[in-house]
Amino acid sequence: MKAGSRTHATKVVQYALLTLGALIIVFPILYAVGLSLMSGGEAAAYPPHIIPQHFQLKNFVTAVSEAPLGRFMLNSFIVSVIVTLAQLVTASLAAYAFAFMEFPFKKIIFLVFLSTMMIPGESTLIPNYLTIRSWHWINTYQGLTVPFMATAFGTFLLRQFFLTLPRDLFDAARIDGCGRFRFLWSIVLPMARPALGTLGVYAFINTWNQYLWPLLITNSTSMRTVQIGIGMLQFQDATTWNVVMAGVVIILLPSLLTLVLGQKQLVKGLTSGAVKG
Amino acid sequence: MQREEPKSEPGSQAKSGVKAKGAKELAHALVYLGPSLILFLIFVFYPMVKTVYLSFYLTNPGGDPVVWKGIQAYLTLLGSSSFRNSVVVSFLFVLYTVPGTILASLLLAVLANVKLRGIGVYRTLYSLTIGVSVASAATIWMLLFSPADNGMLNYFLHLVGLPKIGWLVTTRSALPSLALMTVWMGVGFNFIVLMGGLQSLPEEIFESARIDGAGRWKQFRHITVPLLSPTLFFLLVVDTIAAFQSFGQFNILTLGGPDHSTNVIVYSIYREAFFNSRFGPASAQAVVLFVIILILTLLQFGVVERKVHYQ
Amino acid sequence: MKKGKVLKIVTVLLVLGLLLVTGCGTGGTSSSQAAGGPITVTFWHSMGGVPAKTLTTLINKFNATHKDIQVKLVYQGSYDDAFNKLKASPDQGPDLFQVYDIGTRYMIDAGLVTPMQNFIDKSKFDLSQFEPHVLHYYEVGGKLYSMPFNTSVPVLYYNKTMFKAAGLDPNKPPLTFADVEKDAKALTTKSGGKTVYGFSQAIYGWFFEQYLARDGALYVNNGNGRDKAATESLVNSPAGVDILTWWKKMIDDGAATNLGRQTSATQAAFGAQQIAMTIDSCGILPNLTTAAAGKFKIGIAPLPRGNNASDSGPIIGGGSLWILKNKPKAEQEAAWKVVQWLTQPAQMAAWTVGTGYLPINKAAVNEQTYKDFLAKYPSYQVALDQLHNTPENRVTEGGRIGVFTSARATVENAIEQAVLNKATPQAALDAAAKKITSAIQEYNQTMGVK
Repeated sequence: MKAGSRTHATKVVQYALLTLGALIIVFPILYAVGLSLMSGGEAAAYPPHIIPQHFQLKNFVTAVSEAPLGRFMLNSFIVSVIVTLAQLVTASLAAYAFAFMEFPFKKIIFLVFLSTMMIPGESTLIPNYLTIRSWHWINTYQGLTVPFMATAFGTFLLRQFFLTLPRDLFDAARIDGCGRFRFLWSIVLPMARPALGTLGVYAFINTWNQYLWPLLITNSTSMRTVQIGIGMLQFQDATTWNVVMAGVVIILLPSLLTLVLGQKQLVKGLTSGAVKG
Repeated sequence: MQREEPKSEPGSQAKSGVKAKGAKELAHALVYLGPSLILFLIFVFYPMVKTVYLSFYLTNPGGDPVVWKGIQAYLTLLGSSSFRNSVVVSFLFVLYTVPGTILASLLLAVLANVKLRGIGVYRTLYSLTIGVSVASAATIWMLLFSPADNGMLNYFLHLVGLPKIGWLVTTRSALPSLALMTVWMGVGFNFIVLMGGLQSLPEEIFESARIDGAGRWKQFRHITVPLLSPTLFFLLVVDTIAAFQSFGQFNILTLGGPDHSTNVIVYSIYREAFFNSRFGPASAQAVVLFVIILILTLLQFGVVERKVHYQ
Repeated sequence: MKKGKVLKIVTVLLVLGLLLVTGCGTGGTSSSQAAGGPITVTFWHSMGGVPAKTLTTLINKFNATHKDIQVKLVYQGSYDDAFNKLKASPDQGPDLFQVYDIGTRYMIDAGLVTPMQNFIDKSKFDLSQFEPHVLHYYEVGGKLYSMPFNTSVPVLYYNKTMFKAAGLDPNKPPLTFADVEKDAKALTTKSGGKTVYGFSQAIYGWFFEQYLARDGALYVNNGNGRDKAATESLVNSPAGVDILTWWKKMIDDGAATNLGRQTSATQAAFGAQQIAMTIDSCGILPNLTTAAAGKFKIGIAPLPRGNNASDSGPIIGGGSLWILKNKPKAEQEAAWKVVQWLTQPAQMAAWTVGTGYLPINKAAVNEQTYKDFLAKYPSYQVALDQLHNTPENRVTEGGRIGVFTSARATVENAIEQAVLNKATPQAALDAAAKKITSAIQEYNQTMGVK
């Protein structure tokens, strides 16, 4: 890019626009952080405050004492990591078949995959619960993870990415006598790192954010996951927003951190020379 | 299901064995598709079949089928003004959120696809909302949307001299408000995907276009968009399905109200099944929703994907 | 180097797979008790925030003082979440279960519980120490099915400071709909394009039920479903229409504002002095007091009544404790011990002080902790007086139907229709009554209720 030829003025405009966009996107989160640091009186002030006048961490202490967020976070972390890894494996395999292999009923099977996304989760909830119960998986990590180990969404995402890879790569590999699995393993997957990263982050955060299923199939505080913590902080008759916000902020932190750390992996990658090979 | 080792095929196949070849190819493919298919079979299709079965019954609140009703539930749905309303609201919600999310994200992605100092920070900030759960987002937006003067958004309106808005409490503004919040939530993921797509575009094409004297808009219109079309298509399909399936924000913020103005099909299903304990009619709605999304997706693949430019 | 990474992932997956096969969780909820050890009582509850903390403190105290019984307290999400979970699989349920008031009919019809009365009779437990109005709500045919626990009544909260500023007597809160309307108009002020409203109440079906009872009207037929199973909704009675007409008129006149269904929205607006009066549960007094600290003084008055209504009283709201019958006898007995302990004066006083719920054990008011609480929030007495002044009859005992959750939502929708000018109060309530009636009849059919 010919950045050098850009005038100073365009740069200023670019930064201004970038910052404006960032402010709009980040504002709700900043607002939550602000509220979580306010006293109950200040949270109810008019005009509303965005930046607290007296910072106080009391709400965080209260939030942690009202719900065992630490244990919940550990469970959510374990469950999210397992589901993420499993989804990466199942989705890579399936997407590879859809992108590079020719076989009968391919279109139909692909549609069958996609159709799993169209079935409302609310209607599969109870039957799945009964299945898990009959396997005695209530209150276990396998009950929390196994139903989510396959992903049509992830398969679709990887398929779309694989399709952008040059076809001749595949043909060249075949001529080299490279087996299908080895081709996937040593050529496609390394090149697909950004897409795998996207799926990984997406799977992790989605699992982290589950509410209804973990609530249904866990029966003890020791197996509960973190979104249930938000529910525990809320109380329909008497809401103390600053404490709730402190809980929200605590629960947000790990997923935002995952994002910040995974970000480089996500948007970098593809520019490396390998792709154009 | 026959499983064979995926070994490299012999270079030449007898033409007479087309069928055999097909079977073999299918078997190979199933090795790769198997893990996902088995999981889907147990945790998606089996429950779905059960749902279809339940839709022909009236159940007791425990969910056991009690009275055979045949297609009664479907007929009732067809004639029900409240279900028609749900269908309309669902489509409106898709219409409000999907183009909005994709356009906003594309704008941000193009904006952030430059080489500037600290651009990484902006990219991280733009993708931030992917990490926000519906529960957290809804809790935060509930406060932003407060319809009194002390609501944050109304306070901003007041600062710029505009009259306040009822946000979630009037039938006219509730659905657009939820759409606004949903777009906000969706921007993070859409941005990341589009950013990845933009970054993978070969720089040389732009170089040669510039040499040919193509302006920025022309480059965007004739190079960026076509080359990005697989990504855009993916987002269109995925966002549409996600919009139809949105649930958390409805459950936390509006409960389908005011006056059913945000009563999307998924929320209506949830309400019927878990609050009204009418699993039969709820199942029928689930089946109808499935069919609607299926038809729409088929249309997208049939019509839109033709225009998608794969390399 | 990439291969090394891949290998690592494969190993991790293999290990995970192994874990899955061998089962790494903490196992299902087997209710078998280790011989000789203490009996474990599983207690599902739906308390969040401060009440949850208070409950945990109480249960910890119980566990510390009872070596033979250990209570395992488990939060199960909202009342509806917990209820749905029990419905999906009754055999996986707890020993002790907190259910909201309006789930009473279903709990009985589903046949899942041992009536509390059985334990009460056997151990000659003295019920006379409890508030009779609260007990009646949970009685069926003179039998107490569950033990009331968290109980509240709605009250009118008003901003005394704003009353004074508007030239009203801060010690004379409005008592009737007409009073509320008059005061709301006096309290509404406009300045600089912003309006401070005299009144606002959340669109919450519970309030409607309460007003209806306050005006002496039934919610459903057959003595509110208490003489025999209800078959018909009566929400479109003249009293119901009066309530909605009043509700809507104040908003149309600009003396009240509609802040939606969330009570948290009206609470926030009241705390920020955007509205001068609101209706809410007596339980939120401590929180509102915190929000008002240093800004204004809060007053409490009984729930307003219709202009032509005889002075009846509200129903109670909240939840009660149920003992499930498919558990071993020893566990049920242990659960009963927990219930007895929780409702003793000392515990009840601690519960009220910690949560704002009413002390349903009359002796609790003599506890020092409660006296200190009352000294801090003297106006809390209004809520308790309201409970005591309520006459006992089918109306104030409250409606009892198996589909109350959906009925409440239906009424909320009718309120919205009226308030947002989509239908007249009469038309909105007529439609609601029709819908509720058909839901009741379908419930009766599928549950085999006659």
